[in-house]
Amino acid sequence: MGNFVLGKYLPYDSVIHKMDPRAKILAMLMVLVSIFLPAGYLGYAVLALVIVSTVLLAKLSLKFVWKSMKPMLFMLAFLMVINIFAVKTGYVLIAFGSFEIYSDAVFNTLYIAVRLMLMIMVTTCLTATTKPLDLTLGIEDLLKPFKKIGVPAHEIAMMISIALRFIPTLIEETERIMKAQASRGVDLQEGKLNEKIMAVLSLIVPLFVSAFQRAEDLANAMEARGYAPGQKRTRYKQLKFCFRDFVLLAGSLLLVVVIALMAFVL
Amino acid sequence: MKQIEVKNLDFSYDEQTHAVKNVSFSIEKGSYTTIIGHNGSGKSTIAKLMIGLLEKNSGEIFVDGLPLTLENLQEIRNKVGIVFQNPDNQFIGSTVRDDIAFGLENHCVEPEKMDEIINEFAKKVNMVEFLDSEPTKLSGGQKQRVAIAGVLAMAPEIMIFDESTSMLDPQGKNEINEVIRELHAKTKMTLVSITHDIEEVTKSDFVIVMNNGQIVMSGKPEEIMMREKELLKSNLDLPFSLKIIKELEKNKIKLNKSVTLEGLVDELCQLNSTK
Amino acid sequence: MSIEFNKVGYIYSEKTPFEYAALHDVDLKFSEGKVTAIIGATGSGKSTLVQHLNALLLPSSGKLNILNFEIVAKQKATNLKALRSHVGLVFQFPEYQLFEETILKDLCFGPKNFGATEEEAQEKAIRALKLVGLDQSYLEKSPLDLSGGQKRRVAIAGILAMDPDVLVLDEPTAGLDPQGAIAMMSLFKELNQKFGKTVLVVTHDMEHVLNYCDEVVVMKKGEVYSHTTVHEFFKDTTYLDELHILPPSVVRFRQMLNERGFHLPNDCYDMKTLCALIAKEVKNHG
Repeated sequence: MGNFVLGKYLPYDSVIHKMDPRAKILAMLMVLVSIFLPAGYLGYAVLALVIVSTVLLAKLSLKFVWKSMKPMLFMLAFLMVINIFAVKTGYVLIAFGSFEIYSDAVFNTLYIAVRLMLMIMVTTCLTATTKPLDLTLGIEDLLKPFKKIGVPAHEIAMMISIALRFIPTLIEETERIMKAQASRGVDLQEGKLNEKIMAVLSLIVPLFVSAFQRAEDLANAMEARGYAPGQKRTRYKQLKFCFRDFVLLAGSLLLVVVIALMAFVL
Repeated sequence: MKQIEVKNLDFSYDEQTHAVKNVSFSIEKGSYTTIIGHNGSGKSTIAKLMIGLLEKNSGEIFVDGLPLTLENLQEIRNKVGIVFQNPDNQFIGSTVRDDIAFGLENHCVEPEKMDEIINEFAKKVNMVEFLDSEPTKLSGGQKQRVAIAGVLAMAPEIMIFDESTSMLDPQGKNEINEVIRELHAKTKMTLVSITHDIEEVTKSDFVIVMNNGQIVMSGKPEEIMMREKELLKSNLDLPFSLKIIKELEKNKIKLNKSVTLEGLVDELCQLNSTK
Repeated sequence: MSIEFNKVGYIYSEKTPFEYAALHDVDLKFSEGKVTAIIGATGSGKSTLVQHLNALLLPSSGKLNILNFEIVAKQKATNLKALRSHVGLVFQFPEYQLFEETILKDLCFGPKNFGATEEEAQEKAIRALKLVGLDQSYLEKSPLDLSGGQKRRVAIAGILAMDPDVLVLDEPTAGLDPQGAIAMMSLFKELNQKFGKTVLVVTHDMEHVLNYCDEVVVMKKGEVYSHTTVHEFFKDTTYLDELHILPPSVVRFRQMLNERGFHLPNDCYDMKTLCALIAKEVKNHG
């Protein structure tokens, strides 16, 4: 668990950390849109420059960003192999006897790789600089206009924040049950297939039983403290839009426009 | 004045087991009442019925003269706060601050006023320095104190403690009992504590003993905790002082029945010096 | 055969920013065939200590010798599973480890994992259920239909069915009512006296320590603070004050009387004897 860095919050003190989560979410969406515009090499160079400087501005190390990309490498390698076999357009780059690798296969893959890397960098910029709870609040606020068409913005936010609150508790619980069953001779590493299935069951069933118990207790506690879904309530944490947030939004908008111009006009 | 009145309350979880049978009692305003009974005696069920988390089969519950019905539910819940058993499962916010704010948000308190209220009640339970801590960093006793602050911040008139100390270590138990004692001494709140702890019972004004979903006896702890036969029949442990009194009786020393150790010691010392 | 800790240290999340040393140089030898209480404040390392006993945690430093199984820090341990069949560890709130459809199946789970045949496992299961005071009518019931106290009994029976030589329990009475707790502690005492099991029990309840245990290990900040017999332990109440431990009622009562002019002996822990002595003293004054 500890090695998994994608989506992890890093408590540094940077200007990006201080920005309003709503501004950051909107900015991220705009940059994502521009990544998907066919802007050519120069366009990607501009995007890469902007995104890498944002990463540095957020005081994130490039090593950290690289770590969060690692899980994607396998996928990219797989894609490369498929492309090499499937794509037969462009000119021949290398030929092994009768087997030929075409340029489009390589460039298509690289193209996707660059897009993917940029996307991961952008989302990392958001998740690594925003506390999960603030992110939830931001999502809630941004979803508010969609309430009219029946999107339960507040309930979604409440669900996410409770899930976030209970993740550490459930991880602890899982560890405890694993140890308890190990004491009864369960071995998750070795054993035949049916033994392994039993081992997994011995973990999952108790985990569910206890999670349901917790859910019931929590529902009682929430109800007893006056919570009812759908009812009007105030919110303790208020998000404040500052000047720097406008700068961020204006900058992102400018970026989309520039990239769009490069893609469609030039 | 009676603040809570329960009349002929009946409840069952399913057709076979009758959890609460024809229970009637009343609780005085500003008093500290303990409800004691073995696990499965129906005492926690009563707590859940009193705040409408479970729906009674029959009978009536009045809070401040107001009958507990679906229409009055919110109003009654505003008057009655409850602290549950499991410290982990009632911590709703992601930090202490957010958890105390949760109830205030439900009461539509203006956000600007919340910080002041949060600080005030965190101070009451000695948790000010932990306001920004996450629940995983807190001990069981600390989490229960946060739960108490969260309920107090909603300004209830009645507080129910539903076995709030039973999952805590001795230190946590002491902390919570200390908070309860202070509430009793310094506020006019009506306190109801559901407990196993005979020590706690001796400090309350009134005790209700439950067994098999029924009230076995009720009254002042000094009297109730000396009724050996009924206590044993209800599967409860005898208070230590009663055991001592019985043992001394066998040795031909008769003492007035005192439920506290201090009382027994005083009496024995008198015997020892005057004779 | 022995249970010995030799300069054992344990560090959680070693070599990460969350590194935390829970045990430091623990030297400890548990007495076999005895009931030993392990006490200490929350965070003193009790739970970490007991998880070493069946190798759920492996020492970061030092050496363990448990029933001739040797575990040395930084060396690959072998035969852990065999060790676990000899040392049964019951976690806090063990009712959460029940998962099978019937109690019989759940009780058979442990023995079968350790290589028992179906018949052997069933035989062991029935015996274990009887030990915890439940009759055979429960065998085909679902463990999830039981009351809280019964669930815990079944969970403990699940460990007893493995017939371990050493039984380790982490706060087995937490959340039980006083009567349930007394029944539970009596069971461990019985297992010790009738079947010669070594019992190690983590507890906060001093009444239980006095009434059901032979020895006490006090843990403090990851170290063994003391290891004495129970009677030795409760003799000196100033020492208990130092540890912020409220002595058992009998000890408190005796102490209060002695402070007010009685002369009751310090090594008397039995209520009956104590009361007889009090009576004698009161009458002598008359």
